[in-house]
Amino acid sequence: MSAGRILIVDDDPHIRRVMRTTLVAQGYEVSDARTAEEAIDKIRGENYDLVLLDVNLPGMGGLEACRMIRGMRASMEPAIIMLTVRDSEKDKVEALDAGADDYVTKPFGTPELLARIRAAIRRMPMASEEALQSIRLGDGVTVDFQSHQVRVRDREIRLTPKECQLLRYFAAHPNRTIPHRELLQAVWGADYGDELEYLRVFVNQLRKKIEANPARPKYLLTDPWVGYRFRPPE
Amino acid sequence: MDGSGQFAKRAGVAAIRLAAAIAATAAITFFCFRLIAVNATTAGFCYLVEVLIVATVWGLMEAVVTSIAAMLCFNFFFFPPVGTLTVADSRNWVALFAFLATSLIAGQLSAYAKRRTREAVDRQEEMERLYALSRAILQTDPREVPARQIASQIVETFKLPGVALDDHAHGEIHCAGSEHLADLERVLRKGPDSFIPPGPATPIVVSPVRLGGEEIGALAMWDSNLSETALQSVSNLAAIGLDRARAQQVTAQAEAARQSQELKSTLMDALAHEFKTPLTSIKAAATALLSQAVPKLPEHQELLAIIDEDADRLSRLVTEAIQMARIEGGTLQLNRGLYAPAVLISAALRDMRHRTEGRRVEVQIPENLPLVFVDAGLVQLALRQVIDNSLKFSSPDGSLTIAARPEEGSVLITVADEGPGIPERELERIFEKFYRSPGHHRVAGTGMGLTVAREILRAHGGNIVVKNLPGAGSEFCLVLGAAPPENL
Repeated sequence: MSAGRILIVDDDPHIRRVMRTTLVAQGYEVSDARTAEEAIDKIRGENYDLVLLDVNLPGMGGLEACRMIRGMRASMEPAIIMLTVRDSEKDKVEALDAGADDYVTKPFGTPELLARIRAAIRRMPMASEEALQSIRLGDGVTVDFQSHQVRVRDREIRLTPKECQLLRYFAAHPNRTIPHRELLQAVWGADYGDELEYLRVFVNQLRKKIEANPARPKYLLTDPWVGYRFRPPE
Repeated sequence: MDGSGQFAKRAGVAAIRLAAAIAATAAITFFCFRLIAVNATTAGFCYLVEVLIVATVWGLMEAVVTSIAAMLCFNFFFFPPVGTLTVADSRNWVALFAFLATSLIAGQLSAYAKRRTREAVDRQEEMERLYALSRAILQTDPREVPARQIASQIVETFKLPGVALDDHAHGEIHCAGSEHLADLERVLRKGPDSFIPPGPATPIVVSPVRLGGEEIGALAMWDSNLSETALQSVSNLAAIGLDRARAQQVTAQAEAARQSQELKSTLMDALAHEFKTPLTSIKAAATALLSQAVPKLPEHQELLAIIDEDADRLSRLVTEAIQMARIEGGTLQLNRGLYAPAVLISAALRDMRHRTEGRRVEVQIPENLPLVFVDAGLVQLALRQVIDNSLKFSSPDGSLTIAARPEEGSVLITVADEGPGIPERELERIFEKFYRSPGHHRVAGTGMGLTVAREILRAHGGNIVVKNLPGAGSEFCLVLGAAPPENL
């Protein structure tokens, strides 16, 4: 049995070759695409656990492709790691905002990439969270962790896998300030802990999906310099 | 020559007019006396009308001559006793007075009207010329010297023999025209006293060229018969022309600089991508081999490590070059946020784990340091450059001390090593671009690291200074402004 199905999207044939060789050796099932359009066709046809997506692609570009993948109604939503040569905070936030779960700067070391891939496709929830199937918030908002969906009255909004994991972790630990590092390690993996911008982007996206007024959150609260706190409805 | 020719011509015209006036008087006399034989009163009115017409059409002098001729004819042919000149008759004086008064008043009025007309025509002509000049000045060719173009446009528009324009900004005098240029230039250079005019009035007119009260040049014209207003307008136009040319030049330079920076920035981005793409496959391949659990020969392990490290180094060089280009081009955008200095230092050190391995690095950061409002990525880059520099230029067994302390609205981060210190004359030079200390040519590096670091700190309104420590070693001090309270 394969460790997971990965789609590599990069216009450089050498990078595709190196990654294919490395990932196949690690037991992953790998296919690749040269352009964003080709990648989207492939994702329509098949299920992938993870997409390694270069930002700088010919044609529509990686960020747009990421948004499109997130907008697709795939039966299984793939995790997305974006790859890019730019490493400013702005570029990272842009990639995460587009729906990526993680962000790796080129050139990267193979062990680092492998660790990130493992973290991204880790979907086993921890014991305390497993029991949580859904939560009901005020204002007619229901979150279903099984189908990764938020129902606001009669409207349905999808959660990305990382958003879903993050919210589930919050829901499993209500009324407690969870430090940044703990959240990052619980959701992304043991190698994480300093990527505060990840939390900023993801918490903001969650607020947009579950809060009535994302600028004045009622459920997902910020404890400055420490972390975040989930306050369930009374 | 010109003057006497014109005088002869004018005298000729006057003689013809006088002859014509006398002939007209004779014709009226003949008509009234012989053809219809009118009475004295009618004849008097006819003469009066003639004087009036002559005065209006030709002028005072012709009218006076006509008045005298008419008075004589009137007296001789119409006053009884007819056929004699009876000067004593008082009616004679009345007639002469009437004719003279008419000629004077009508002549004055007509001369005044003519003068007004001529003035109006002249003013209109001046206005048209000024307008033509303003158009010409607005259409100056930006590739040529503006002052020279303006001078030659004044010459052309007002048909002057010579014009000189002094452009104070460039300290140059530009002449146009064909005559008296040396005199004009001397007057502008040395003042009006340096020119001794040939006649009682000087033919040179000098006017300052002012822009908003500031004198930006001077204009000298030979033989200009411009009115005071027109002269003022010409010098104003010259001022506008000079100023416009200067503004155009500044804009063109700024635009050229901006385009070149933009090109550089685009080129750098493209270059970064082109370099980093192959580096990515090299590094990914090398690290994949390095991390394989299969046992390797030690020399293979070593060679793979070299490939990996140098891929990192090339990548760093490309990043630094891009940062440098951005900083130089002023396109560096600070993405500021509030950070604790301790977080910045530990993040920088974490990125340098492989460089600090096996070295003693002490970090001394007190509690309760103020936060700083900075671009974290850039400040960490600056910190890495400074730490990297200290690691390179100190002995491998010496320790490195990184400390931070607050000071008067700033946070100081110091990086001190136990190396040999920096020669006094090099203390400032080490921040120069591509500067490599003469004694350390074997140390790997680009000579850009500290330049980048200083530029980053300066972009934040801070700075980096370096000094030698009393015992041994040197200390770099990064000064960052503490976050103002409103940002907290």
